[in-house]
Amino acid sequence: MKWSRTRSAKFLAVGAAAALLLAACGGDNEEPGGGDDTSAPEQNDEPVTITITTFGTFGYEELYEEYMELHPNVTIEATNIDTGGNARTDTFTKIAAGSGLTDIVALEEGWLGAIMEVSDAFEDLRDYGIEDRASDWLDWKYQQATDPDGRVIGYGTDIGPEGICYRADLLREAGIGSTREEVAAALEGDWAHFFDVGRQYREATGKAWFDHSGFVWNGIVNQMEEGYYTADGELNVENNAELREAFDVLADAVADGLSAAQAAWDWNGGQSFVDGTFATFVCPGWMLGVIEGNAEAGAEAAGISLDDVEWDFADVFPGGAANWGGSFLAISATSQVKEQAAALADWLTQPEQQLKQFEAAGTFPSTIAAAQELAANPTPRPFFNDAPVGQILASRAEGVRAQFKGPDDSVIQENVFGPALQALDQGTADADAAWAQAIQLLNELVVNN
Amino acid sequence: MSSMLGQGPPEAVVETEWAEAERRRSLTWRQRLSRFDLKASPYLYISPFFIVFGIVGLFPLVYTLYVALHDWDLLSGKEAFVGFENFAWALGDQFFWNSIVNTVSIFLLSTIPQLIGALVIAALLDQQIRAKTTWRMGVLLPYVVTPVAVALIFSSVFRNAGDASLANNIVEALGFEPIEWKRERLPSHIAIATMVNWRWTGYNALILLSAMQAVPRDLYEAAAIDGAGAIKRFFSVTLPSIRPTLIFVVVTATVYGLQIFAEPRLYDVSNAGGIGGADRQFQTTVLYLWELAFFRRNSGRASAVAWLLFLLIISIGLINFVISKRLVAGEGENQLSRRERRALARAEKDRKAVAR
Repeated sequence: MKWSRTRSAKFLAVGAAAALLLAACGGDNEEPGGGDDTSAPEQNDEPVTITITTFGTFGYEELYEEYMELHPNVTIEATNIDTGGNARTDTFTKIAAGSGLTDIVALEEGWLGAIMEVSDAFEDLRDYGIEDRASDWLDWKYQQATDPDGRVIGYGTDIGPEGICYRADLLREAGIGSTREEVAAALEGDWAHFFDVGRQYREATGKAWFDHSGFVWNGIVNQMEEGYYTADGELNVENNAELREAFDVLADAVADGLSAAQAAWDWNGGQSFVDGTFATFVCPGWMLGVIEGNAEAGAEAAGISLDDVEWDFADVFPGGAANWGGSFLAISATSQVKEQAAALADWLTQPEQQLKQFEAAGTFPSTIAAAQELAANPTPRPFFNDAPVGQILASRAEGVRAQFKGPDDSVIQENVFGPALQALDQGTADADAAWAQAIQLLNELVVNN
Repeated sequence: MSSMLGQGPPEAVVETEWAEAERRRSLTWRQRLSRFDLKASPYLYISPFFIVFGIVGLFPLVYTLYVALHDWDLLSGKEAFVGFENFAWALGDQFFWNSIVNTVSIFLLSTIPQLIGALVIAALLDQQIRAKTTWRMGVLLPYVVTPVAVALIFSSVFRNAGDASLANNIVEALGFEPIEWKRERLPSHIAIATMVNWRWTGYNALILLSAMQAVPRDLYEAAAIDGAGAIKRFFSVTLPSIRPTLIFVVVTATVYGLQIFAEPRLYDVSNAGGIGGADRQFQTTVLYLWELAFFRRNSGRASAVAWLLFLLIISIGLINFVISKRLVAGEGENQLSRRERRALARAEKDRKAVAR
């Protein structure tokens, strides 16, 4: 019976292999983090390396070059993560691990609520003179970066004022109008009115009005005085009459076939932007680049010339001004070069740099001076029928208020209302059933978590 | 002086001890060294694995258990000791069981076709064919592509009805209704299993091929002379001979198959929160624990799920181990069933009794 020995060895090997593989997916603490360079903060011309993490299209590459030219002793090591969602995971993991954050970290508004619970992972920027600049920013932008103890942890970069992107050619055919002025006038009003125009469009063309319910719902909720949380930080969904009423209005619109039930971030490989599947799209500034990129990819895949597709951008948003997204630059508490990192983050968020960032990436500036500059000197954007998008966004930013974002805001948006709205789009649930599904998910994922 | 005397042992004792030590050293130094060498060296030689394993395998495993026993927020850290509450919660959570069903379903859809495919490919590559190396390298090519790239490619191959996708073009060309590849449960499982199979079949085929190459050729000749056809030879000669390798492949496929993450995570870009489809129709257990840990920020419960998955993998691994041992019977006593062995033993006893 010599095999008994080899058998136990095999058992051990099986267990070890399983353990190894399981462990491999458990922990993820790589990257010893930026600031090994321990140059003294007060000696400003000593060589220093500053690390920074951004995400999506941030438009900073040329600004890094410029800064390094201005400060020959500074080397910037930049990491850009593909999406805000992955940046969220990256940041959370590193805060949890207690190490690995770069000197400067870009934080997104949507998950700032969770960060605020551990805001001491980041430096209080009042120690670096941010208060002197407070009036540079829109007041609510500055307030968003302030934690309950009054510490300010982020230099505001961009904001996400929302307008309506639309297919001028399709709206013209449907008799709604095609110029920016005509469409803005036609859509002026509340969400019910927006959907009524959609019904008219549907009547005329038999096609869907907007791409899917998720983004529209985001627009609606972001616009409210209070969203999923009250201003005091209390979760307020289940008995929130305002929310429920808005949900029903949206559900009615979906029931009338206004939603194209698209898979977001895929949109049939971008083809839906060129084949007329839908005619309108809720557009924060940063979304313009997303549409452009998807339309290009879709046009190539579908064999349609982009010349036959007319996207435009109207200075209107149902229900008034709304904001979706926007970011901040924070200095991690573990950084060894806080002083220099703060100087860089401060420089990057100055109005002049925000204008260059807008040019490179379409992210709308959060400083008042930069927004005024865009309003005064419009530059046409060819893809959107030469629309002066900077000027339109500046106008859309007027009247935007910050809404309190609770710690689980992104969970509620993605995992609670996401599935319910998809069920609505699919026609597998009516308003009551979809709402009930959302509430059940809320209780399982958020309340009882 | 008296104090010094008080400290040291009596002189005679010192002398005896010294003599004893001296004798032992002079007599047994080499032997003791060699005995030490014999006993300790093997452990020394294998220690690097265990040291590395202890740091990157065992420690995280134990630490995960520690986290699992606490109420633990991803960001703010440890809050309170809660015992096995997290485990009880996970076992009572419908989404945990949903993820287990999905995982097992995808696992079965991937592992079984994968192993059959790998065996067939290996058997074909084991024949006398032209350009052997090219073919062998060819089957390994899909393995070179990272799972992320595979997932991205296949998620545009499989799309919902109404969208443009290769899979539905084929389905429609065959005269069937287009399939909701991302919305319906079974089609989404098949799509994800396809990604796994595409990547792993060739790799497993190569491992099995190397085992087949080691089977003595005269066994085949003898079998052929006895009149066994190619198929009979495969089942009666090849399979039993490569049994240990087959078991290895089955166990590694099990371990991988139950930990599928990148494929379902990237299959549906619309649901960023890691729920694997709007109805969680293809959320695997690892994806579920990712959602718990990094989206819902509940490290304690996520760790409990990780441990439950660990136990599940070990038990399924052991079951596979036993089944594959049974399925492909080896030499010697394993060929006889328990009853046959008992019958033999009884016959032997009877014979002895008669002889007496």
